[in-house]
Amino acid sequence: MFQLLTFHALAGLITLCSIMVVASRNPVTSAVFLVIDLFCIAGLYAQMDAHFVAAIQVLVYAGAILVLFVFVIMLLNLEVSKAAWRVTAPEMGVLFVTLIGFVVIAVMMGLGQTGGQSGNMTPEAVAAAGGNTYVLGLLLFTKYLWPFELASILILLAIVASVVIAKKDKVEKTDKALKGKAVASGSR
Amino acid sequence: MRELALELWAKVDKEVLIQIVVMLVKFGVVAVGVLQIPPVMVWVERRAPAFMQRRKGPNRVGIGKFRLYGLIQSLADTVKLIWKEEVVPAGANKVMFQLAPIFAVFPAFLIASAIPFGNDFTVFGRTFSMSVIRMDVGFLFIFAISSLAVYGVSLAGWASNNKYALLGSLRASAQMISYEIPLGMSLLPIVIIYGTLDLNEIVLGQAHVWQWGIVRAPLSFMLFLICMFAETNRAPFDLAEGESELVAGFHTEYNSAKFAAFFLGEYVSMFVLGCLCSVVFFGGWQIPFVSYDLLVRLCGGYTLIASLIGAVVLLLKGAFWMWFYVWVRWTLPRFRYDQLMSLGWKFMLPVGLANIMITALWVAVARF
Repeated sequence: MFQLLTFHALAGLITLCSIMVVASRNPVTSAVFLVIDLFCIAGLYAQMDAHFVAAIQVLVYAGAILVLFVFVIMLLNLEVSKAAWRVTAPEMGVLFVTLIGFVVIAVMMGLGQTGGQSGNMTPEAVAAAGGNTYVLGLLLFTKYLWPFELASILILLAIVASVVIAKKDKVEKTDKALKGKAVASGSR
Repeated sequence: MRELALELWAKVDKEVLIQIVVMLVKFGVVAVGVLQIPPVMVWVERRAPAFMQRRKGPNRVGIGKFRLYGLIQSLADTVKLIWKEEVVPAGANKVMFQLAPIFAVFPAFLIASAIPFGNDFTVFGRTFSMSVIRMDVGFLFIFAISSLAVYGVSLAGWASNNKYALLGSLRASAQMISYEIPLGMSLLPIVIIYGTLDLNEIVLGQAHVWQWGIVRAPLSFMLFLICMFAETNRAPFDLAEGESELVAGFHTEYNSAKFAAFFLGEYVSMFVLGCLCSVVFFGGWQIPFVSYDLLVRLCGGYTLIASLIGAVVLLLKGAFWMWFYVWVRWTLPRFRYDQLMSLGWKFMLPVGLANIMITALWVAVARF
């Protein structure tokens, strides 16, 4: 009963915010609505007893990645699009696909096919095994240790690469300047 | 119609309803209680430096003959702030300008709801927790919500369309993001030592003074203390405001009630971090040298009374940290911005990582 109530409230908010993300003309407004959107999705996770995933969702997406979004938009000082809102052909395509998706979901719900089979990690089983965080941590550091470590190496690579790309221009400039100096002193 | 309502009422899970009502009541109490902090702190913030500098400070405003050491000054200030005319700058982004104070207040109140103000109590055969929401991931919840505090600051600076405000907000948000990482690093050893993310469990693990977090992880405490000041943008890390260079930082263009909202958010998050410090390093609601069992026995077996006494103890510990903030503000000069950044990234982060490694090794060896 209460679960249904909170689910519908959150789902409504998510839909509304998602529409606002696409429809608002100011990029900063879009970003702010995306933050609220991701926060509500965390609420959905929490409602499904996945507290750990909910906290991480807020921490990583709403708290870290979107801050970067907002920063970049503010620093780039993007213009507010003043053009009248006209639906272009690709947008029509997107709308069409979304509509088809809605129809498919409605049909499936009518046939009672959305539930799927529940796995062996029901909320009761997780609680009996020592709680959300414990189960997840245990799996990450035993069964899925190698994929987990590989993923962190991948992220490290991305960080190093971004630093290299950001510094590339500066390094080349200093190199040229040094060479120029060497040439100048050599000619003297 | 009546039958439908009755049918609905029969479907409602009564136990869940009771839990929800109790939770709402608890949230009301915490929210109203937390609202009382800024007025008192405004007074402390003026009287404490007066005390340190051997002057009197504001002690005039009172009701009739009762001066109450000038405490009524805060009431006058609040009334003034609320009734002042609201001004929105002409070039400002109207919507974001109004939204930013809400973004600043909301996380502070939400974090306050995760603090365990006492041990669980049993009334009429039902057990309730003394925090508004009892979660098994209370620790992560606090990190997650406090990471949202950046939005209030950055949006306020951007929406006011003012150079000083934008510079102040960029400084403040960079500072808050930078110090969030050492803050998390400083608290990880506590999670390793006590083996739980539940804040109340951590307090239960600190039954004796020699089991307190500060004894078991002193380095973590030092790191947390520094981060506590940086996260709340307090002196010596109050570069976000920097009156001499940035007018007032991100809230330069704000006045009246919206300015009061930023004030509120700042003081509430200061208090919440102080409470968190007490919970993690100073035994939370535990009274030193008095075990919880003894306290319950002294209360005649009523766990509710024991929990309320615990809440008073935690509030006293939190009040000490509020005093500590003001104390440090009038003791240390402001840092330079590059000093702040290199302290965070080049010193606190490596030390925090080393601290985690050492603690993990120590715990592993102790178990072995």
